[in-house]
Amino acid sequence: MTGKELYRIWAPPGAKWVEWVRPVPFVESESCSKFYYVPEMKLWAGNIAMNVCNQVDNSDAVRNMAPGTDTVLIVDLPGAESVKKGIELAGKGYRPIPIFNGTIEQKGARATTDNQSVVEALRQGAERLKTLEIQKEAPPAFLLDSNRLNRFKMDVSLFDNSWDVYPQDLPSADYCKAQGVRSVVVIGKRFSKDLKKILYAYQKKGLEIFLTNGFAEPKRIRIRRPLRKEKE
Amino acid sequence: MRLIQIPKDKYDEYRLTLLFDCYKWDPQFLDHNTVARYALVLSREEHDELRQLTLELDKETRAAEEFLNRHQELTKSLALPRSVKCQMKRMGNYVPEQHVRLMRYDFHPTVEGKWAVSEVNSDVPGGFAEGSFMPRAALELIGETGLWYQDFGKTLADAITGKLPSGGRIMLVHCTSYSDDRQVMQFLGDRLEERGFRVIYGAADHVRFREGRAFSILDGNEGELDGIFRFTPLEWLTDIKPKRWQGYFNTTTMSCNHPVAMFAQTKRFPLVWDKLEQQGISMGMWRKLLPETVEVKTVKKLQGKKSDTKEKEFLYKPACGRVGENISIREACAEGEYEKIMRDVKRHPKKYLAQKRFHSKPLNGNEGEQFHVCLGSYTVDGQHAGYYARISESPRIDSNAADIPVLIEGEVAK
Repeated sequence: MTGKELYRIWAPPGAKWVEWVRPVPFVESESCSKFYYVPEMKLWAGNIAMNVCNQVDNSDAVRNMAPGTDTVLIVDLPGAESVKKGIELAGKGYRPIPIFNGTIEQKGARATTDNQSVVEALRQGAERLKTLEIQKEAPPAFLLDSNRLNRFKMDVSLFDNSWDVYPQDLPSADYCKAQGVRSVVVIGKRFSKDLKKILYAYQKKGLEIFLTNGFAEPKRIRIRRPLRKEKE
Repeated sequence: MRLIQIPKDKYDEYRLTLLFDCYKWDPQFLDHNTVARYALVLSREEHDELRQLTLELDKETRAAEEFLNRHQELTKSLALPRSVKCQMKRMGNYVPEQHVRLMRYDFHPTVEGKWAVSEVNSDVPGGFAEGSFMPRAALELIGETGLWYQDFGKTLADAITGKLPSGGRIMLVHCTSYSDDRQVMQFLGDRLEERGFRVIYGAADHVRFREGRAFSILDGNEGELDGIFRFTPLEWLTDIKPKRWQGYFNTTTMSCNHPVAMFAQTKRFPLVWDKLEQQGISMGMWRKLLPETVEVKTVKKLQGKKSDTKEKEFLYKPACGRVGENISIREACAEGEYEKIMRDVKRHPKKYLAQKRFHSKPLNGNEGEQFHVCLGSYTVDGQHAGYYARISESPRIDSNAADIPVLIEGEVAK
C-alpha cells in the first residue's frame, strides 16, 4: 500500500475531524529504512483479533465512554500502543485521528526517538481500520506517541527526531465547543508537558479535562496554570 | 492580479497531491486549512514589474549588507542580539562569490494601486516546494491555457550545485524536531540528490569547524562537508549550548545563507539607512516600497499629548519576528493578543520597531470572499527566482494564512 492509500484509510474524504490527520508518517512510510515487527498488530488482521480486542475492551474503562458528540479523546500512549488503542476505539465508534508528527532520521544515524515503528503500526492498523464502519460524524480520538519527548542524547552526534504537540496541531477549544464538545478525556499515564499547555487553554475556555490510564475510570483534573518557563 | 478557483470537484485530489507529491506536510493550522482553493495569477506586466522591483531591492540589500559587514560600527541601531553581534566580528573573510545568497521580498498590493513591501526574509526564507511544485500541480488542474510558472526549486538547486564539487556533500541544517522544517529540507534534498549530490539532514550542532572548514559529526555520516544549507534561524543558532557554532560566521565552506544575512533580516534594518546613504549606498527603492519605519519611542513623540491617531497609523513589529507573528494589527489579533503585544512593546521597545500601516487591497474570490495577499518574490545570487504567496481573509498574513500557487500569464520568459 502506498503512503497515499494508507492516508486515505485513516483520513477518508467527507469524514469529520480528518483535516487534522498529520500526513508526515504516511509520506515517510515509503522511506523507512528499518524493518519493524509489531507483534500485537498482526492479530488485527483476522477473527482472533476481534476476540482479543473485545477482551481488552471489556476490561477497559473506555467501555463506559460510549461515543457521544460531547467528548473528544486524546490517546497519549507509546507509539504502536497508541495506534492499537485507536483501532479499539474505532471499533466502538470513535474516529481515530493520528497526529504523529515525528520525522525519520538521516540514514545511517542513530535517533533519539523511534518514529519508524509508528509508521509500521499505522500500516498494519490500516488493514483493520478499513474493515470497520465508522460514522462520518463520529467523535474523534486523537492519537499521540507518548515517546515523542524522548530527546535525551547520550551523544551529541545522535539525530534528534523527538517532537512536541502544539496548539495548532489540534482543533481550537472554540471549534470543539461549536461541535458540542464539553469534555476532553486523555488516555495515558499522565499529562505530558506539551499537552498540558493545550489542555490548560481548553480548560480556560470551559472544557472539562479528564485523565484515565485506560483501565481506571476517567478522573476529572483541574490543570494549574503552566509556569512562564513551561509556557516557552 | 486575479484568483482562479481550483475546480471544486478536483480540490480534494489537489490537496492530496500537495501532501504526498509536493512536500506540503502542514495542511492544517489550528482550525484553518492552509491549502488555498485558488491559484493566484499575475499578468505579464505585473510579473515584469515585480521582477524589476525585486532585483532593485536585492541590489540595494546586498550592497548594504556587504558595506555593514565592513563597517560594523554603524550597526548599533539594528539592536542585534548580543550573542549574534559578538560573533559577527568574525565575518571579515566573507566573500559573496563563495556562497549562495537567497532572499525573499514580501510584496502586498495596496488600495492606492501600488505595491508595498513589508519585509525581506533574508536569513532563512521558506516555501520552496510551494514556489515550485505547487504551481505545477495547480496548472495541471486548471483548464486555462497560456499560463506558466517560475520553478524556484530549479534555480536554487542550480545555484547551490554550481558552487559544489561534482557529487559533493552538503548538510541541510535545520531543527530536526520540526517536521515543518524537514518538509522544506526534504524538497531541496531530493532535488540535490537527483543531481548526484550527497545530502545529509542534520542539526546545527552536527557541524564542527576546523581551520574554517565545516565537518559533519552526525552519527554514521561523519566527514568534511562541501556545503551547508542553513534553515535554522541565526538567533536560534546562537542559543545552542554548548557554544560550538562560532564557525558558521567565518567558514569558507559554501553556505546558504551565510550569517551576513542577519543585517537585513532584522526588521530594524531601515533604521540604519540614513547612515548608509551618508556613505553613498543608495536605499531608494527600499524607501519607495517599505512604509515609513521608526523607533518605537518616535511614535510616542509624534503622538504627543493629543489623541492616539498616530499610534493607530503605526503598527509594531518584533525585530526578529517571523511568519507575521506578533504584529500589532488589532483587528487581526486573537483575543488578548493585541494587549499582550503592546505590553511587550512597552517593556522591550528596542526589540520592536514601529511601521506606518499600509492598506492592503483584497482580491475577490468566486463566492463573495475577499483575500489579502502576501506575494514573496525570491532572489538567488542577485537573480529573480520565483514566487511564494499566501492569502488570508485577515489583513495580517500569518500562520493562519493559506498557501497559494502563483501562475503567470503570457509566454514563458527566457
